[in-house]
Amino acid sequence: MLVIKGAIDESAGLSALLERAQDRRLVLDLGGVTFINSLGVRDWIRMQAGAQRAGIAIELRKVVEPLIHQLNMIIATRGAARVTSFFAPYACDGCGREDSLLIDAVAHAQGLAKLEPPAMTCAECGAQMEFNDFPERYFSFLSV
Amino acid sequence: MRAPSILIVHPDHKTQRTVQRVLGATGYRIDVADDLGQGVRLLAHLEPVLVVVDGSAMSSPSVKQFFTVAKARGAESCMTLVGAAQLEQMSRILGLGAVTNLLVHPMPVLGEELTITAQKLLRSDLFGAEKYLLWGTKLNATTLTQASQRSQLVGELAEQVRGRGQSARVASMAMLVTDELLSNAVHNAPIDAAGRRYRAELARDGELALDVRHQVALRWGCDGRYLAIEVTDLFGSLDRDTILRALVQNDVKTSGSGAGMGIALTYRSCDHLVFNLAPGKRTEVIALIDVRFPHSERVPASSYNVFVERS
Repeated sequence: MLVIKGAIDESAGLSALLERAQDRRLVLDLGGVTFINSLGVRDWIRMQAGAQRAGIAIELRKVVEPLIHQLNMIIATRGAARVTSFFAPYACDGCGREDSLLIDAVAHAQGLAKLEPPAMTCAECGAQMEFNDFPERYFSFLSV
Repeated sequence: MRAPSILIVHPDHKTQRTVQRVLGATGYRIDVADDLGQGVRLLAHLEPVLVVVDGSAMSSPSVKQFFTVAKARGAESCMTLVGAAQLEQMSRILGLGAVTNLLVHPMPVLGEELTITAQKLLRSDLFGAEKYLLWGTKLNATTLTQASQRSQLVGELAEQVRGRGQSARVASMAMLVTDELLSNAVHNAPIDAAGRRYRAELARDGELALDVRHQVALRWGCDGRYLAIEVTDLFGSLDRDTILRALVQNDVKTSGSGAGMGIALTYRSCDHLVFNLAPGKRTEVIALIDVRFPHSERVPASSYNVFVERS
């Protein structure tokens, strides 16, 4: 598994990661990505296209919100990659805390297919948190 | 000939009254039409400085005729209001390429957007993020003198936004918006006498010293309602048609390609994007991120304005 950290921008060189695939499989941990700009998006799409040409299956873990934003906005960024876990925004009505919480996309596949976010508990006050986006928009990247 | 006025075209009488009240504060006379046909007939007798059209009218076959007549009668600009019911038609509305001011938010935000847009147009006073922020809000100012400062400035801005209590999501949106606007200003804004964008193809991660002509100004501030990010270059080479083409880009959605992708991503990453253009002199872009509401209560679309300084 490769851990990606920081900004995905013009200097990312993502396509080079394909050389690190093992048995035509590449697992990327994206939990440390801080943001992605338009040049990073282009690079990301090139990597996805390269993986498809080479028959490399990409698994994306801990996909952070800025990346989810792009996956939802630009269909080409999804490629044939499989997202197995991702961060999603939650907010607590009780204490106002906002968090980006990790969702296991495999364990919650059924609920997510029905656009039902898993229940989450507030780390501060213990109340049940509300999903803090429009499910039909935020989970659209899972539909391809 | 009658005195300059503002013409509102909206089928809903309650909304007509709301918009009338908001824009009546400008001091201009307000004329109201229920539909575009009535609007065209009224235009024969009016010289509106501004026309405000409901988004539902955008699917009418007479919309192009209306815009043509309004322009011929001297309307400087057109504002289009998009209600929740018309959000699905956003692509079509943007695709018309004629809407220079699109306001998508409901009241009370609409009242703010309407008033500021109208006042800027009527007073011909376009520049400055201050117009969108509450009185007393301090704007932090920095000048980019080396292209390589961009990533550092973006990181610092995000840290300061977080340090002032804003969510990680707001900071993330601010990073993307700032990065794209700075990158555009450094690499796409500079043109030579022949109109050639001589820095557009340069590597974005290369070192580039920016002399006074090429320096880019970044200002940002937050008043508890909006985080405003303003980027200015001194070329004034961005034009209205390029902006409208970039905003409508459908290939961004499918392929992520095409010129103007930075503008398209910026638009989709903020709540209100404002272009203040002084052709040949300066371009100022202001991105507003609404920090008042939880994301789930926001309108899933963004407003925009394209203002062009009269020569």
